[in-house]
Amino acid sequence: MKKNFSLIGKNIIRQDGLEKVTGQAKFADDYTFANQLTAVMVRVPVAHATINAIDYAAIENDPALTAIVDATDIPGAKKIGAIRQDQPIFAYDKICTHGDVVAMLVGESHDALLALRDKIKIDYTELPVLSDRTKALDKDAPIIHEQYENNEIVHYPLRKGDVETGFKNSDHIIEQTYTTPLIEHGYIEPEAVTAILREGNKGVQIIGSIQNPHTTQNVVAAVLGWPLAKVRIQQAELGGSFGGKDDTMNVLSARAAVAALKTGRPVKIRYNREDSILESYKRHPYTMHYKVGFNNDGKLQAMKIDIIADGGAYSSMSPFVTWRTVVQATGPYEVENVWTDVRAVYTNNPYTGAFRGFGSPQPIFAQESLMDEIAVRLNMTPDEIRRINGFKAGSVTASNQVLKDHDVNLLTVMDTAIEKSAFRKKWRANRQNNLAKEKSFTIDEENLFLNKDDFVDPQNVIKRGIGLAVSFRGSSLGAEGIDAAAAYLSVQKDGSAYLLCGLAENGQGLRTTYSIITAEVLGMDIENIFYLEQDTGLIADSGPTVASRSTIMGGGAVKDAADKIRKRLEDILKPEWKLTDSDELVFKNNKVQNPKNKSQEMRFGDLCKLANSKGVSLSVIGWNKGPDVGWEEETGQGDAYFTYVYGCQLAEVAVNTVTGEVAVERIIAVHDPGTVINKMGAEGQVYGGVTQGAGFGLWEEISTHEGMPRELNLDEYLVPTSKDIGEIIPIFVEGKDKYGPWGAKSLGEPTLELTAAAIANAISNATGKRFFNLPLNLEELLLNRKLHKEDLQRGSL
Amino acid sequence: MPKITFNLNNKDITITTAYNRRLLDVLREELGLTGTKEGCAIGECGACTVLLNDQAVNSCLLLIGQVEGQNVLTIEGLSTKGELHPVQKKFLKHGAVQCGFCTPGMILSAHALLHKNPSPKEEEVKEAITGNLCRCTGYKQIIDAVMDVTKG
Amino acid sequence: MIPELQFSRPKTIREALNLLATPGQNNRILAGGTDVITGIQMGSKRFSRIDLLIDINQIPELKTITENKAHIIIGGNVTFTELIENPIARQKLPLLVKAASTVGNLQIRNRATLTGNFVNNAPCADSVPPLLVYDALIKIESQNSGRELPLQDFLTGTYKTLIKPNELVTEIRIPKADTELRGDFYKLGRRKSVAISRISLAVLAQIEEDKIKEIRIASGAVTPIGERFPDLEKWANGQKISDELLKLLAKKMAEKITKANGLRWSSTYKIPVLQQTFYQLLKKVTD
Repeated sequence: MKKNFSLIGKNIIRQDGLEKVTGQAKFADDYTFANQLTAVMVRVPVAHATINAIDYAAIENDPALTAIVDATDIPGAKKIGAIRQDQPIFAYDKICTHGDVVAMLVGESHDALLALRDKIKIDYTELPVLSDRTKALDKDAPIIHEQYENNEIVHYPLRKGDVETGFKNSDHIIEQTYTTPLIEHGYIEPEAVTAILREGNKGVQIIGSIQNPHTTQNVVAAVLGWPLAKVRIQQAELGGSFGGKDDTMNVLSARAAVAALKTGRPVKIRYNREDSILESYKRHPYTMHYKVGFNNDGKLQAMKIDIIADGGAYSSMSPFVTWRTVVQATGPYEVENVWTDVRAVYTNNPYTGAFRGFGSPQPIFAQESLMDEIAVRLNMTPDEIRRINGFKAGSVTASNQVLKDHDVNLLTVMDTAIEKSAFRKKWRANRQNNLAKEKSFTIDEENLFLNKDDFVDPQNVIKRGIGLAVSFRGSSLGAEGIDAAAAYLSVQKDGSAYLLCGLAENGQGLRTTYSIITAEVLGMDIENIFYLEQDTGLIADSGPTVASRSTIMGGGAVKDAADKIRKRLEDILKPEWKLTDSDELVFKNNKVQNPKNKSQEMRFGDLCKLANSKGVSLSVIGWNKGPDVGWEEETGQGDAYFTYVYGCQLAEVAVNTVTGEVAVERIIAVHDPGTVINKMGAEGQVYGGVTQGAGFGLWEEISTHEGMPRELNLDEYLVPTSKDIGEIIPIFVEGKDKYGPWGAKSLGEPTLELTAAAIANAISNATGKRFFNLPLNLEELLLNRKLHKEDLQRGSL
Repeated sequence: MPKITFNLNNKDITITTAYNRRLLDVLREELGLTGTKEGCAIGECGACTVLLNDQAVNSCLLLIGQVEGQNVLTIEGLSTKGELHPVQKKFLKHGAVQCGFCTPGMILSAHALLHKNPSPKEEEVKEAITGNLCRCTGYKQIIDAVMDVTKG
Repeated sequence: MIPELQFSRPKTIREALNLLATPGQNNRILAGGTDVITGIQMGSKRFSRIDLLIDINQIPELKTITENKAHIIIGGNVTFTELIENPIARQKLPLLVKAASTVGNLQIRNRATLTGNFVNNAPCADSVPPLLVYDALIKIESQNSGRELPLQDFLTGTYKTLIKPNELVTEIRIPKADTELRGDFYKLGRRKSVAISRISLAVLAQIEEDKIKEIRIASGAVTPIGERFPDLEKWANGQKISDELLKLLAKKMAEKITKANGLRWSSTYKIPVLQQTFYQLLKKVTD
């Protein structure tokens, strides 16, 4: 079945590599415009308050100030949001979280504006702060947004079978509660955007570190009260996003646009790291209560799941993030009886939204911990319990979707990982070893001073563990929303081509993937493809660049465009060569050839020239619309996604049992993303996703004090360095699928979502203890809880 | 305002600026060399890495007065006569670039290491780039690229 | 944001001291800048309202590492990288070199200085515990006078020392031991690199057969500043090495620290882990 590809699956140098290794690539802050102004944000140092008055008297006449911009300057929508319009561009009635901005000072000197900011007097009345998500729906909880009757952003029920009967028929029941923290995307490039008013009635041009230009276009047009086409959004080279440069950038773009409109000059907003961490949205913290019933033979009987996601102050993407959670909450396992409730709630914490993984890393940590616990209870190995319950071809998901039309490779990816690592042997040996020796050290909080027997002999300090986690993941948006993408391909008369897709390059490498697809279809030199700038004026809205949908959706659109061009070229050539419609031509090595008569051959460029001379257009729009999916809101039943991908990650760790340090020695990451198009890019996704996943598992956490983040820069928010992760081994199992270009599907998010769960299981294998609260940092390992400073004071100040 | 003379990318230059300017500000805003990036401003992320007298340093922690009479190399000065530097070539070959924001600093750190130690061990490569955070790549292909430079 | 300021680059110690004596303004030494510039950037009160920054990086006298019969002498502006790469330091001050290697990242070590580390005197200053067990002395000079004192006496509290605004640390003098000392440095951080110390420990001991003839112990990060433990050392000196003794020593250290500083937010973790890691370190040194 495997096609003999020229470029697909090969090592291809990045499209945008040259400008990036030479420092020429232009990121948002690298743009400077004549006469541009800069801006600083005015904030209120509380998480919840009503604003009474703001007194600018002390600065109003200062020459360093060009304008004060606030909500009164907004001609259109004052609040925005994908589902609920609850997030103000400038807060005007109340403060809902620390990142809120009440006004923006605009002028020429950033330093001068910072000095002016200290002189503003804001009169506000503090309100009780809601920081505990599990109390958000209590009767006496402070209401964050008065226009809604309570703090519930969304509630997704899923009802399948009869859980009570399922539990009654179970030989065993385990109930556990798991939590995961607030996580910062940690893109190395902080946010920046410039709004430039264009001549006459041309509207506004915005260039910035924008993940989803068309979403930004929608927001800016709504805020200005303008037609969409009067707003042009250009994406600068994006210095990392991981889902993180969406809502924040929409808001910043709108602020810059309003300021440009007010001052008549270009306005640039650039955030430093502290601004960025304070105001940008993050990954949802989850509290997850799982109850599972199962029989002695290992078969799952029933699952009852109650999940609360902290949406923070604004709804943002919460309704989408938590929807993926409800679809995938039981994991890739057949369970006949399921009762799931997933709720997202408002609090005064930083708001939360899209982040690579998107509502999956949290439940995977819970469900995969639970599966290991079941295995141990039944004296099985972790792979055995998964083999009994894991999805196979024709399995039915919790939402009653039958898995068909693709290779259901869950057990294949697991077995591949297991074979690679001698998993079963190591897992059993570690367990025996660790049970045989003394119990792992745990701190007795009642007595911090050790008895003689508490001291661990040096040779027993390090314990090794191995663990795995598996997942299934719906590709693309699913029933979340409209799923279609556009591509523009314009082949020039010499055979070179412009290419652009409506999905955006965020660093993941889609320019390269799309160029490979185009070159593969047309047999042209990949060096002859020139990728255009991302600009809403040049390409149709293709939905957001999220949900690991670039290859499957955008790739499909690009292939459609390339196929259309190829058809046009074939239609020209076949009559010339006296061939019939059904005769095949080979497009390869920059040439077109009749395989049955090799003397019939033409250079690709010559063929394009011929097309041009015949008045045939070689500029096309490719379009790819996803198949229909469905969802019953009341019962959580339906075909949630049109296809799925499967992954298994296996972690080997060394735990220092007296300090709680965890060294990740090896991760084997086996994924079925369908056909791999861009091999180096795919491997890069695995290395990067695993590393982020390990950060989520072991180190990363934004802790808050009364809603205020403590970790505001990269000295305290700990992302993995080059020395923190050991070997990572990516393995691809390329399952067949009828969707996606040549069956290519999704990879970016699966790589991240499994790592923390695999590491947690490996740590349990090493220590004989289970852990329920990420990150599994030093304190968690020895105390089973976190320790935080009581205040917000940064140590060195 | 003081005049500062230093060697930038193998050329002596003199600029007039203020003493509270960081080298990073001068490079980006006054000299238009935007290949050097700002990611944290406190010496944690390494996006602003430049070479000062062949040593990797954070240009966010250097005041402009401190480079008077010194040699500064930025990413813009690495390739000569249109020819990519071997580190740049290997970064491309190994897929060591994703979003590219950390890349200039990363390449300069690698270059500084190889200048001092032409055949580093993998652990030494990792140590040399701990001051350059990358959120995209998980570092693997970067380390492979640097190791490959040593093979020529 | 860095406010407007004056900047000067003296070529000699004398010139630097004269600048430091400029009356009526806030003069500050700028060495590596890794504390000063970040402090200014983050709006730290410790670095506010600086009128004149005196960059001492052009003073060759402060850059040397030498030895004489009695001392190893480290110039007052030697960076961590210079220290790590120096043959004398590598051979004779292994604990200090090991600690220096764990400071920040390479870019930081290329700029940050040993002197800056203890003049800033953060609780987690990695070089302080080794310097303390080496009985380091420091030479301080001002325009009109100079003095030499043990580092231990110079460090008075978190981010506090005895330095006066017109003074410059010009030398660190480490007495050479006349007997063979064994020792090690230990640091616990949250990451494998670029980590702020949660616990740091330095131990230097003279071991004769199965006895501790003399032991020197210092801690960092678990105490408000790097500290020596003279009472503990005295208690341990002369004792026969046994597993029991080392455990007791570890426990006594934890008790002493808790008694002196009370329980802090991090003590629940640090106090037990300090005992375990100190015990591990003692085992290693006395093995």
